[in-house]
Amino acid sequence: MPKVKMPKSSPSLDMTPMVDLAFLLVTFFMLTSSFKAPEPVMVDPPASTTEAEIPKQVFLVAIDPSGRVFVDITNNAVKTQVLTKLLASKKLGLEGQDLNKLVGAGPLGMSIKQFPEYAALESSEREAFNQSVRGIPYDTTSDVAKIKASELYLWAYHARLEAHNDFTAREEEAKKRNLDFDKSQYMQFAIKADFDVPYTLVEKVINVFRQAQVKQFQMITDLEDTPEI
Amino acid sequence: MAQLDTGGGAQGGKGKKRAKKASTAIDMTPMVDLAFLLLTFFVLTSTFSKPKVLRMIFPEKIDKNDPAMKAPEVKNGLTILLTGDNKIYYYKGSLKPETELIETDYTKDGIRKVLVESNLDLLTQLKGFQEELNKIDEKDTAKTNAINAQVTQAQKDSKLVVLLKHDKKATYGNVIDIMDEFLIAQVAKYFKVDDDMAELEKKLIADYQSRG
Repeated sequence: MPKVKMPKSSPSLDMTPMVDLAFLLVTFFMLTSSFKAPEPVMVDPPASTTEAEIPKQVFLVAIDPSGRVFVDITNNAVKTQVLTKLLASKKLGLEGQDLNKLVGAGPLGMSIKQFPEYAALESSEREAFNQSVRGIPYDTTSDVAKIKASELYLWAYHARLEAHNDFTAREEEAKKRNLDFDKSQYMQFAIKADFDVPYTLVEKVINVFRQAQVKQFQMITDLEDTPEI
Repeated sequence: MAQLDTGGGAQGGKGKKRAKKASTAIDMTPMVDLAFLLLTFFVLTSTFSKPKVLRMIFPEKIDKNDPAMKAPEVKNGLTILLTGDNKIYYYKGSLKPETELIETDYTKDGIRKVLVESNLDLLTQLKGFQEELNKIDEKDTAKTNAINAQVTQAQKDSKLVVLLKHDKKATYGNVIDIMDEFLIAQVAKYFKVDDDMAELEKKLIADYQSRG
């Protein structure tokens, strides 16, 4: 008897559609993804049901579980100006590249005196440095004079001023070129605090900003589904 | 793909000599591997949602020594006291030594129920407006604006006033949670009290907790 021949079927199958799909997805994710900015502190914000998105231009105040305060400004032009002013207030100065490095270093959580030291660090050394810093110093009493002498107040004060200057400059520029100007591009103050931070501490930070005439805050939260009521 | 031509010689001289057919298929495996590698990378690293924000407005600090700046007495009020261990106490009306505190929590049958029940008047009104809005044409701006004005007026006329106080043990998460509950229950008038809790309120909480 002849042997039963198994029908020869090709072991390879047409992968073209799958590859097409894979590339489509790759393209999609490449174009839509934005990378998370490196954060020096791990902050786990509480959740809320609001759907308002964070404004593009923010002065971000991050408060980590141990109560340290870190700040960041998303607009680099404003940040450069603010840092220059802060350094000048302590009779310090940083030139060109060092200043740019400091601007690009993400959130800052150290006293102004430590700025030059931080700017000189390599990016790989920054994490360890951020672990050791004690956050931006601020006064915890309710004494107005003391609050106004604190470094956090200086941050808030200069940031508000420079943000306003930057906004008017951009507005004029747009007017000159007859372009539409998006008025929502004004810098706002956002707070990202950890769930477990005592509220009194957050309140004290807010009080410093209130002294600098900042009255509106965006509290950053994780999204939570809106329940039916 | 790369096969040795072994069969050709054995068939004798009859067959024509043909040009060797070059395969058009190229091995795509490495490319596909790379594609999937990139796909996995982007899927895992991409963050879709931007962070959301809850807006809080802090009015100008008042001078407590100014006699004109006396805090108004709240009559139809609900005062919420936040304290440590995720505990909430609340009382209705003004604060008196005989005020009874009620304990509640952050679950949906806790503080949310209290707020929704206290705010039922406004909630039913708002629901009515929402239904009207759904009925009319979206492009009809005149009608939409009229209804929105009614909504604002209803919120203005709302009788419920909620005061929020906290002590040193309450966390930031607690305050945000409560603020969020105000949004969910659509409370129109709520205030975060700047000062610490009154001594009497602290005492009431201590009494409540000692009773167990």
